[in-house]
Amino acid sequence: MMNVIININKENYHARIAPYHTLREVLREKLGFTDVKCGCNEGKCGACTVLVDGRPIVSCMMLAAQSQGKEITTIKGLDKDDKLRLLIENFISHGAIQCGYCTPGMLVSAKALLDRNPDPDEKEVRTAISGNICRCTGYVQIVEAILATATEINE
Amino acid sequence: MSKTNNLFRPAEYFKPTSIKEAVELLLQFGDKGKLVAGGTDVQIMKDPQTEALVDITGLGLNYIQSNDKGLRIGAASVFTDIGTSPVINAGPYHIVAKAAREIGTPQIRNLGTIGGNICNATPSADSAPALLVLDAILIITGPSGEKSVNITDFFLGVRKNALEMGEILTEIRLPVFPPNTETVFIKKGRVATADLAVVNVAIRLTMTSDNTCQDVRIALGAVAPTPIRAIEAETMLWGEKPNEALLERAAVRASEEIKPISDVRSSADYRTTLSRVLVERALREGTSKAFA
Repeated sequence: MMNVIININKENYHARIAPYHTLREVLREKLGFTDVKCGCNEGKCGACTVLVDGRPIVSCMMLAAQSQGKEITTIKGLDKDDKLRLLIENFISHGAIQCGYCTPGMLVSAKALLDRNPDPDEKEVRTAISGNICRCTGYVQIVEAILATATEINE
Repeated sequence: MSKTNNLFRPAEYFKPTSIKEAVELLLQFGDKGKLVAGGTDVQIMKDPQTEALVDITGLGLNYIQSNDKGLRIGAASVFTDIGTSPVINAGPYHIVAKAAREIGTPQIRNLGTIGGNICNATPSADSAPALLVLDAILIITGPSGEKSVNITDFFLGVRKNALEMGEILTEIRLPVFPPNTETVFIKKGRVATADLAVVNVAIRLTMTSDNTCQDVRIALGAVAPTPIRAIEAETMLWGEKPNEALLERAAVRASEEIKPISDVRSSADYRTTLSRVLVERALREGTSKAFA
């Protein structure tokens, strides 16, 4: 076991981890970040998406040990982020949330997209969320909500 | 912790600060030591034999450099950076960037490295066909120092590469190509994104000034135990002026050089047909760009 310090949502957290623990396991089960969901545990569904140094990654694929020295952001940490709040409003008003399980990961991916590309076209939006599987909505409302957010931000 | 039925329990994690240290760790742990960069293959395989994880993301192996001798890509470069790199997107190298953009998902591309993709050595590795047609040289550092290996000699079988104990792939080098060089990469999965290839194809055509094929490469993945070059199809095109009939025949020949299997993603028959179609499509696209 190893003692590590992980920076999550701008705060340092101490954790005792094994080399094989994934970042998702440590975030969700050791440190109580239940905003990070577990879907496939294989890096394909995107439910566990968090930002590492601003880039969206699937936390079930990253070793917790590898998150040392990096800035981890979960959806909780974006609570006061303007873009994220606008995204949430548009997700709600466009009907982009049904069961809600994909939503945290989906929002993290969408927020990361708007950070690096403030005026995406539909293809760019669909590519940005291609690593976030939704079983409920069929994605149309999600894409519309993200595009609407981009439009509002750019006004 | 997670209830996943998981026998992957390495007891040690190291993050060496020099390649020498990494090599020593690999020698120390032998079969029970595993290199990890992005972790996207290590985490899928979850090899129960693993006792030690050697994290190589602290060795400065993520870089993309270009000079008049060609392109050098650090083995720990992630696919997002390769896919958006201006120097890789320029000229014949662009197929490496295109392949990088079509691997996995955005999240996987932010973690997965080109070195990991090559060393994992699956038949469907998307970076492989592009590197095969670009005559990539792999720089490998190990106990006896540094050596170069042609990528055509690197893939030995399904998930078997030519690395010996203690060796680490550190860099991928691509040569400079003459101006009349066109390259094409096409990947087809079951769905548009986020899928393994059912078939992936890359070609390179270097044309002479009177429009004959001076240099031809055709590579295919997911249709044999390793990514392969279709040597006989290539030979058909050498020194020839491409015309539709010739390209069709070359594509047919390429589809006879493969050894596809039926698996969860596709049947051997479909892969054979798709290979022929994609090789022909790639050759047409390459020649029409060359003649444009």
